[in-house]
Amino acid sequence: MDDASIWSQNWAWTPVPADGAVTYENSTCTLCPGGCGITVRKVEGRAVKIEGTKGHPVNDGGICILGLSGLQLLYGPTRVASPLKRIGERGDGKWQKITWDQAISEVSAKLAEVRAAGNSHALGAITGPDRGTVSGLLERFLLVYGSANFVRTPTMMDNFEHVLYLTQGVEATAGFDIENADLVLSFGSGIIEGWGSPVRMFKANARLVENGADVFQIESRLSNTAAKSKHWVPINPGTEADLALGLAHIIIGKGLFDYNFVSTHAHGFEAFKQLVQTRYTPAVVSEKTGVAPGKIEEMAVKFARAAKPLAICGRGKGSAPGGLKEFLAVHMLNALAGSVNRQGGVLQMPPPDYIRWTEPVTDELAAEGLRKGRLDGAGSDQFPSSRHLLNRFIAAAAEDATAAPQVLLVAGANPYYTFPGTQVVKKAFDNIPYIVSFSSYMDETAMNADIILPNHVNLERYEDVPVIAGLSKPVVGLSKPVVAPQLNTRHIGDTIIRIAKAMGGHIAGAFEWDDYQACLEETLSDKWDALSGSCIWVDDAYAPPAPDQAFNTYSSKFEFNAGQTQKALNADNPLPEGNTAEYTLTLIPFDAMRLANGYIGNPPFMTKIVADTVMKRKDGFIEINPVTAGKLGVKQGQRVTLSTPVGEAKVRVNIFEGIKPDIVAIPRGLGHTAYDEYLAGKGVNVNELLGTVEDPASGHDAAWGIRAKLTTA
Amino acid sequence: MSAVDDKVTDLTQNPADDAGESPHPPSESEETTGGSILLFFILGLAASMVIGWVIFPKLLYSEKKQPINFNHALHVSEVDDECESCHFFREDGSFSGIPKNEQCIDCHEEVNGESEDEAIFVEEYIAKDREVPWLVYSRQPDCVFFSHSAHVNGADMECAECHGHIGESEKSRVYEENRISGYSRDIWGKNIAGFKRNSWDRMKMDDCAECHAEADGHDSSVQTQKDACFVCHK
Amino acid sequence: MKQAQKEHTTKRYGMVIDLDKCTGCGSCMVACMSENNVPFKTDESNKLDSITWMQVYKLTNGKSYPNTEICYLPRPCQHCAGKHEGHSPCVSVCPATATDYSKETGIVSQIYTRCFGCRYCMGACPYHARYFNWWDPVWPEGMEKYLSPDVSPRMRGIVEKCSFCFHRYQLARNKVYLEGRKDLDEDEYQTACTQACPAGAIKFGDLYNPEHEVHRIAQPDMQHGGRPQNPHVFRLLERLGTNTKVYYMSERRWVRKAGDNYLPGEFENPGAVAGSH
Repeated sequence: MDDASIWSQNWAWTPVPADGAVTYENSTCTLCPGGCGITVRKVEGRAVKIEGTKGHPVNDGGICILGLSGLQLLYGPTRVASPLKRIGERGDGKWQKITWDQAISEVSAKLAEVRAAGNSHALGAITGPDRGTVSGLLERFLLVYGSANFVRTPTMMDNFEHVLYLTQGVEATAGFDIENADLVLSFGSGIIEGWGSPVRMFKANARLVENGADVFQIESRLSNTAAKSKHWVPINPGTEADLALGLAHIIIGKGLFDYNFVSTHAHGFEAFKQLVQTRYTPAVVSEKTGVAPGKIEEMAVKFARAAKPLAICGRGKGSAPGGLKEFLAVHMLNALAGSVNRQGGVLQMPPPDYIRWTEPVTDELAAEGLRKGRLDGAGSDQFPSSRHLLNRFIAAAAEDATAAPQVLLVAGANPYYTFPGTQVVKKAFDNIPYIVSFSSYMDETAMNADIILPNHVNLERYEDVPVIAGLSKPVVGLSKPVVAPQLNTRHIGDTIIRIAKAMGGHIAGAFEWDDYQACLEETLSDKWDALSGSCIWVDDAYAPPAPDQAFNTYSSKFEFNAGQTQKALNADNPLPEGNTAEYTLTLIPFDAMRLANGYIGNPPFMTKIVADTVMKRKDGFIEINPVTAGKLGVKQGQRVTLSTPVGEAKVRVNIFEGIKPDIVAIPRGLGHTAYDEYLAGKGVNVNELLGTVEDPASGHDAAWGIRAKLTTA
Repeated sequence: MSAVDDKVTDLTQNPADDAGESPHPPSESEETTGGSILLFFILGLAASMVIGWVIFPKLLYSEKKQPINFNHALHVSEVDDECESCHFFREDGSFSGIPKNEQCIDCHEEVNGESEDEAIFVEEYIAKDREVPWLVYSRQPDCVFFSHSAHVNGADMECAECHGHIGESEKSRVYEENRISGYSRDIWGKNIAGFKRNSWDRMKMDDCAECHAEADGHDSSVQTQKDACFVCHK
Repeated sequence: MKQAQKEHTTKRYGMVIDLDKCTGCGSCMVACMSENNVPFKTDESNKLDSITWMQVYKLTNGKSYPNTEICYLPRPCQHCAGKHEGHSPCVSVCPATATDYSKETGIVSQIYTRCFGCRYCMGACPYHARYFNWWDPVWPEGMEKYLSPDVSPRMRGIVEKCSFCFHRYQLARNKVYLEGRKDLDEDEYQTACTQACPAGAIKFGDLYNPEHEVHRIAQPDMQHGGRPQNPHVFRLLERLGTNTKVYYMSERRWVRKAGDNYLPGEFENPGAVAGSH
């Protein structure tokens, strides 16, 4: 009896996790650009839990749901287990396992063939962030190979860098001292939706709450950030720049700006003043933005009178670049308040400079390829200060098969899923005969590649992580292998070095390191010791330069009105695609904390906690105001068809009071076609309904939405 | 049951004699039947005792040999700190349990004695970097949380109180695995009737509870007025 | 046992959650699932059978655009003490002695192997904190590698719930015993959700201990069923007398009002109906 009951209480199929010695290992999370310190709990070599590292300067013990779910990615079913070569049609999912030697020789032979035909410029590469040694190696490879077509996936950081370059003349990234601000004007930035470094921002937000800071969240939808800030200011989407300039109008008109900063350290103020005083009167701005004149004045006065006000922008997580005009206008507010390079303000941060590799020797073939320039036109006369324009790169490849790259390398990015305008990506992919994916996971891009050379996942590999996510101190993290590689994968750095060596000549000559780790140790040199121990290096002593030394413009002052600034500020707002007569609604995509929507898809734990008003079984929902729903005659949960000029999708209706009438919203991160059964086929990929709108000043995709209509058929 | 059946058979064999001869006196017949009942009862009892005490345990438990014979007595005489030399507490207060190769390797990197078992250990496990798949006599189900620290450090108990004098053993005894539950016979107890002479004879929940009931201050459960269930379960 | 274990004082472990800091990000939920071997299915959109020991609810003030407000409310097991210690709604109905209340820690436990799945406790719990395993847990091949040995994986047919990460208490006590100390420090026993919360919204500790943050914030009146004396702190369904150990804090009146079912005007003017309680 007893035995039987013991037996029945311990079914053989219920796993019994093995016990043993517990150890903790520190590393840096690379699942998003946030750079959090993680501490992995291990039991006899098995990783059983990921926790935030206590005392870490970025996240101090806190951790987000993606970081927490890292073990589901490590041990999960979505990983690519070995090098794979496509045998069916693209996207069919028919693969042949090949050895690493086969994979390396196949890719290097293909690259050699294209190069020998004098088409070295026809090699393209798309990466995620572009600051560390891994993307550095890839960029170096393209350089010695002879292609300028290295493209990083754009984010709001592109625009911040652009703005700092135009106004302050510096090549710098932007830091935000949010913790010390006492008033924050957020133009749609998802402070607690994953903007910048997510966990750091959660903590900063808690500080703002503790300090009783005024936070104005300006956006058309009651996001979590809007819900948690003191003031939610609903606005007509796409008019944020107008509002910012309207606030400038009042601040200047009332003489509330930082006189010292403007008179001593700025140039071109009169022209800027002229612009806002004539074109952005409260009446005009209120009409455009839908924000009441009284509210505009209240915000302007509070912002100007606050001791340490800060204005930020970059919608949601900031994964879409947005319009340059908006970023410039918001930055001008910071300048007017004197919140540039001071405590609680926006700081110019030096880009990480520890990668000091010797200039590689290139051959004639490479020189010729490089002379052909970039497919996306970044750095050309049209867009002189833009660096990477993925939208133009993809559009160019889609438009003309002869101009499209002949070989595309994709690392740390999943453009096939994340690019707004899936149809365009598909066309571009069709025009690219050979696509190489380095993805650790079977994502959409990997599914549609010709060969996959799978990288280790973050918990299995070394990688430097320069954190470019709005931190107020320069930080470099180190991602360290916490467990041995679980599958037949290789570090992407090693793969690049091996491909280069296989190609011989100058290409091999530019990669003299034995392997990636040797390269990393040599590159980090004096930082290596500190990093390999604590996994974190912080320049605590960093302070932004004083105003008389900070600016590297022609005038050595802050430029309110440089040529390109003028052009951008005078430009019209980018309009969403589609005519208003047929498409009576506007669709906006939004970022939600519980949906990973970048290169990495939602692990099962994250999908588990998605609300049933966002996703139910296989259905995705749109958010719609009850007034609009009433007008269209749709009810909660009803199945409808949402159409935009580029596509349509079957969705269900979620009636939500917190959204502006005549707008429908869909979160990014659902509607995957790849990954596993826990994620694939659930909801709608909003990117299939979106298109891009080119920013006239930067060339980036400035779209924030698209016109749309609902039909109940 | 069988005794009664036999009696029925006896009676049915007699009808042919009934006509010629006088019937047996009833008293005699009853005496015989009574005797055979007793006899069969004793036989039956003996049989069930044999089944219950000898055959059933044989059937219930499969006998398994440890991969290597381990001489505790020899090791204890070689080390300074008795049991805790090999079975120690880690810094976090958890108990290391059965040593891993990592601990043994200091002395046993190469064969240093004459025992055949040591040779097997060095060649098959240390050299091949395989852990020994010891069969753990005291292994408890996954639902049990047992803190060695609470008992040894907190309550100053001796190892032998639960594990017996295993430290004096010269070779590993047979591991008897319960075919139903999969656990060692050490848990249920050697004595099939459940008699317990020593505190280490059995390691079932009742044995834990017995001791917990005796000690003071163990009445945190609202349900039972004894120790709360969570103290030992996870 | 030859001698009684070293004495340790009685604890009442509890939580204070600052709803103004909580962002609804869900880290507490995922940290909990990861810590406690909570399984997942291919479809978890039927929230009635989705096991989340920690569940973040979304509250709204019920007003229409643009005056809508949202607040998130994380709900672990409330570890009710009831009218007298241990008179928790679930403990008092369990016919199997599978759920129990510890007078030592104030934690309501759940012993999975003891539970036979009658689900009386689920019916009794006013907070929906208990979950039934309709299926055996299944981890995709290889993923069982991340399972923690500290918490026993459950099987189908039984009820489970938040344990305030009791195994962490046990493991912390291992160390206390080893070092011959008497008591745990405040930071030695923290739940997984508290540890993970990026906003620092969750505080965990001993409500009896005036030095612990939870006591300082909630200021529980132990003479009156632990009622919070901080005017911004409230408990869920306070007037049921469940005497919970999870306290919530918000500056917003509508949020505090959402913590219980008030008659119209009752929350604003409690004196008028105080007599009935």
